[in-house]
Formats: sequence, C-alpha cells, structure tokens
Amino acid sequence: MKRWERGVPVFGVPILTPAFFWMCVLAVIAVVLTLYRTVVGLAKVTAMTDAYAWGIWKSFNVMVLTGLGSGAFAVGIAANIFNRHKLHSVMRVALLTSFLAYSTGLLMLGVDVGRPWNFYWAALPWKWNLHSPLLEVAICISIYTAVALFLENVPPVLEYLFYEKPQTRTWVTKLDSLFERFFPIVMGLAYILPMMHQSSLGALMLLGGNRVHPLWQSSWLPLIYVWAAAYLGYACVSIAVMLSKLAWNRGLDLDVLDELNKIMAGLIIAWTVFRFGDIIYRGVLGTAFQPNFFAVLFWVETALTLGPAIAMLSAERRRSLKVAFLANVFVALGGMIYRFSPTTLAFRPKAAAFYFPSINELLISFGYIALAIAVFMLAVKKLAILPDSNEGWMRMAEYEKKQNPEVQLTGYSAAATAGHD
Amino acid sequence: MTAISRREALQKLAVGSVVPVAVTAGLTVLPETAHASEVVAPVGALGMLYDTTKCVGCKACVSACARVNDLAPDTRLDGLHQAPLDLNGYTKNIIKLYRPADGSAFSYVKQQCMHCIDPACVSACMFSGLTKDKGTGIISWNGSKCVGCRYCEIACPYSVPKFQWEKFNPKIVKCELCKDRIATGLQPGCTTVCPTGAVIYGKREDLLREAKRRLAANPGKYFENRVFGEEDGGGTQVLYLSHVAFEKIGLPTLGTESIPERLKWQHKLYKYLALPVALYAGMVGVMRGNWKHHITELKHEQEKTGLRPQL
Repeated sequence: MKRWERGVPVFGVPILTPAFFWMCVLAVIAVVLTLYRTVVGLAKVTAMTDAYAWGIWKSFNVMVLTGLGSGAFAVGIAANIFNRHKLHSVMRVALLTSFLAYSTGLLMLGVDVGRPWNFYWAALPWKWNLHSPLLEVAICISIYTAVALFLENVPPVLEYLFYEKPQTRTWVTKLDSLFERFFPIVMGLAYILPMMHQSSLGALMLLGGNRVHPLWQSSWLPLIYVWAAAYLGYACVSIAVMLSKLAWNRGLDLDVLDELNKIMAGLIIAWTVFRFGDIIYRGVLGTAFQPNFFAVLFWVETALTLGPAIAMLSAERRRSLKVAFLANVFVALGGMIYRFSPTTLAFRPKAAAFYFPSINELLISFGYIALAIAVFMLAVKKLAILPDSNEGWMRMAEYEKKQNPEVQLTGYSAAATAGHD
Repeated sequence: MTAISRREALQKLAVGSVVPVAVTAGLTVLPETAHASEVVAPVGALGMLYDTTKCVGCKACVSACARVNDLAPDTRLDGLHQAPLDLNGYTKNIIKLYRPADGSAFSYVKQQCMHCIDPACVSACMFSGLTKDKGTGIISWNGSKCVGCRYCEIACPYSVPKFQWEKFNPKIVKCELCKDRIATGLQPGCTTVCPTGAVIYGKREDLLREAKRRLAANPGKYFENRVFGEEDGGGTQVLYLSHVAFEKIGLPTLGTESIPERLKWQHKLYKYLALPVALYAGMVGVMRGNWKHHITELKHEQEKTGLRPQL
C-alpha cells in the first residue's frame, strides 16, 4: 500500500496508444457529424420528436454527465470545508474530470439547440427571464466551467511550465503566489455555483408537471437531484483512480479510497432515506409496487445505489479492491439512471410516444465523451494529476533525468529556492 | 494558525449560512394546499370557446388556420395532400376524433394553444422568446430571442408548441390567436369559418358567461357540468365544453394550481441572490482558515522533501 502525497505524471509510457487513438477517431467522427447536423438540421441526425423534444445530448451528456463530473464540487467541499485532509490528494483528479465533463456538456448544449446564434442574449443580463430554471442552468454552468473550474485547473499547468519552460518561471512563480492567496475565493465560487445549477437541473423538470412519473416528480426534486450529483462525484473520482491503477499500474492509497467510499455510502443512505420519506409523504409509494416499467426502474435505481452503499459500510469490504471497485461502478450506474429518469425514462409526454436515439445521435454523444477521455489520457501523462507517493515522484524524476537532464524536478527546499524569488 | 476542527467549521458555517438555509428549507415543508392560482387573467383577456356537442368535424378551421397564417402545406402523409396527423411545425390547429371501440359516445376535438393565464412555456423560456401580452393575454413567439432549446415543449402540459425539426433555421410554431387579424378588427381564422359555431371567439369573461349559460340550460349534457379552463392549471383563455370525459379529448387533469407555481420555492431561494451570496461568504470564511493551514503544511512538507509544493 502507498500513501498518496502529491500528483505525479504518468511516465515511461507512450502518448499514442491504441486506446488514445480510437478515442480521437470517435471524437473526430463526432465533430464531422456536428458540422453535418449544423447544415441539415436536427431531423436528419437525431430521433428527437415533438413529444421527446429533449434527447440524450441534453438529458445524458448534460444532465447525467455533469452529475458524474461533480467530484470537484462534492469532494472539494469535504476536503476544504470539512477538513478531510486526505482528500486533497485526489482533488486534481476531481477537478480535471469535472472540467472535462462540464466543458463537453456545454459543447453538446451548443450542438443541441436549434438557433444557437441567438445565444448572444446571454450577454445581456437585463434580457434574462429569471423565472426560467434553464436560464439559471445555462448561465451558471457557463460561469462555473469558464471561471471556477478553469482557474482551479490552472495550477498543474503552471507547474508543468515551471519545470519544462524555465523562461516562464518568473511569472509562473508570481501567478502561483496569487493562486495561493486567492484560491479560497475561487473555491467558494466552485462550490456555490454547482449547488445552484445542479439543483436547477432538477428544477427543470418541475415544469414537466404530471408528465413526470410521481416517483420522480416532487417539490424536492432539485434537492434530490443535486444530492445524487454529490455521490456520483465520489464514485467518478474513485473509478478514475482505480482505472488508472489498472491502466498504468499506479499505486493505490487505501486510506483515501476508504474515506471516499465512506462518505459516498453515507451520502447515498441519507439520500435514499430522504427520497423514500418524500415518496411516502406524498402518498405515492403504491406506484412503486405496480407491475410496470416505472416500478422496476425505481427499484433498479434503489438497488444499484443503496446495495453498494450498505456494502461499503463494512471496513473489510471497503478494503477489498474488487468489491470497492464494483460498488463504485454500480453506484455510478444507479445514480446515472436516476439522473436520466425525470427527463427521459420516467417522462411520459403522451400515451403513444417513443424515443430511442439514432446512430448519428449516439455517435455524436459518445464522440464528445471520447474527446473528454482522450484529453484526460493526455493530461495525466503531461501534468501531475494522478496521486502518488513522494517516492513515486523521485522515480519519475530519475526517469525524466535520463530523457532530459536540463529539467530539474527535485531539490526545491524553501531555503534552496529562497534566492530565486 | 491551527487547523479548524470539523465541529468548528460547522459552527462557523451555521452562523454564516446554514441558518437562512434551514429557515427557508423549513418553510418549504409547509403543507401544500390546493388553492386557486395566484395569477389572474388580464382584464382584456381574449380567447375562444369550443363546444364538442356542436362540432361536426368538417376541419374547415384547420385549412382556414393554415391559409390565414401562411403555413406551408404539410403533405408528409402521402406527398400530395395537406393532411397533418397532429399539431406540428406546420400546423397550429387540428381536429381529431375520439371514437371508442365499444360504440359509446364519440367526440371531435379541436386542439390549439390554450393561452394559459399563467403559462408554463413563458416561465420556461430563457430569453423570453415566448411572451404573454399584458393586454390580450395572447402568448406569442419572437424568433429573435428563441435559441431553439425546446424547453417550452417539455413544459407545456397540453403539448402545444412544436418545432421545425428538419429546418436549418427552425421555428417554434403554435397558435397565436391570429393576433395580426385581431389587430385589424377581424376574428381568428378558425372561428371565422366554423359553420356550426362550435368554436367562437371573444373576451374570456364573455365566453365564460356563455359557457355557464349553456351548462345551466342543459343540465347533465356536459361532462362534470363544468367548463374546462376556468380554473384548470391556473386557468386558460381557451375554454372547453365537452360531452365526453375531458381526458378522452386530450385535456389533462391538472388541478387548479398553475405549472409555474411549482417553481415558487426556487424563486424564494434565489430572491435577490441573498441566500447564495450568504452561503458563498460563509464558505469562503471557513475555507480561508483551512487554506492557510493547508499552505503551511505544504511548505513544511517542502522543507522535508525538497519537492515543490502542489496546490
């Protein structure tokens, strides 16, 4: 077992791997299809209809995947407000996954809307319809991604410049000290904005009225929705670091994973209790026992999230990597299905309406996800994102020394660098 | 600088922000009582009254609507005839038939925008591409402010707004009560041509009075002895009298609360952005101490290892 002490780039492996190549291919296909969609309109490319006017681009790429990309917000609050010190080690993973999920989500929004050229109204706040939850979502997600998440992801890039481009050191050091001083102001934004837009994503479907099945439609939908984003964020960070172990044989810090899993389990159990309480209070629990698709869907969501959460209460199971990994995968699946339900699976616009995404729609959706994965694969090899021990950093430094002796990666004790500042 | 314990952090947060959150959250659990909508119809509200017992299903209103609104013929059914299957990107008004297999009472139904008193589509629209006229209460679409997000289609309980899916520059299409004809003193296309008076045009209050007169004159003739739209979903400006159940002619059961009223707690939570700003200030307050401690630890670590600290 290792102790995670700092971010260390993945080293000694090529950037252009088959996986990376195919992700890029998928991304290029999506970009080409996006251009095609721009020319021919939505009907030829998607299976959306007037009944299901929102397809997977909004309901999956935005509403589900930004939930999965809520690690920066959910793990960040535990690390920085509730002082869970251990979690600082996975913050860079959380920040990067969130940034990629949100920025590709925003791209998808642009592809999805029919008259994107009218978006310039967003720059004129006095023209906003403040009653629209979608307005809140659009403005808030844009600011969160372009300001808060962007700034939070700058330090690893500055670090890269510091080592690799010595001529930039003067201003990198200056920027570093600025970040050191003002980071809490940025982090505050990075926590309040997701609380707002992740709950507003739930509020979107309040206007869906009775067309959303009563097991999902609730005045508390905004709170239940943002809550699901919180535990999804934990699952996503755990899965990312565990997959990195499989892909690049990185060491795992079981204490940190333990902490992540404990918090995730607590969030899910409280979420489930609250959700059931709301359903019982509204008197619609009976609909969960009707022999139909919606009841099955509801119990699948509950089983996929609550089951692993209960399993993760046991310290022994948390220490078993296989069990912990599967638990996180199930939670991610269950939470994603929950986030997908109000807009799509449990949305019943009329009796005879059906929606299944077309091939091109799926290719565009997956292509932008592939783009996010490709950027992640590239970033962890260039930047110090994935956590490792100090020892791991030393090994990387030794390896890099052989490649490029000019780059100095160690020997920066405060006394030694005092003269440079 | 010492680290702040979790308990202290919670206490600090409580002072800064949890209190207002708790107060607001506490208010939201007040029992939801069924009550009439808070939004009332404009004084000059215009509308229509449709009576299923008078409609003969001739569809003269459908073709008149397409003609006066300059809608391209929807020939997608057979490539020749204008034969729309439903309201769509080229059809603002349609006649359908409800005919149960068991041979019991059948009914025609006319569908178009209901011109809600408190419309969900207008609430949903990001930059007010859909607006409700303060004088007439007519809901109309403004292409220069519509981004084509289709949230109006999700929000409308009657599935009225439609989108031109196959267009490069798609529009949202829905009945605007022929507002340009009304401005010149004419009636809407559909009420002008209706041969039986099944759909009539007028001020909402006059139409409501006429509907109630018919109900009083014909006890037992109409479903539930009431006018659909007087209070349903907060009330509509297009009113319906039906001899079959409202749901059979596609009118949903909505209760008296309007759809946008479901957002009222959202509006309270966001009022003047006071709550988000208080929460932000509270969180930054707590984090400043924590962050200083974190930085000190990083510097300390650097002393030991000689490695540059990472934020």
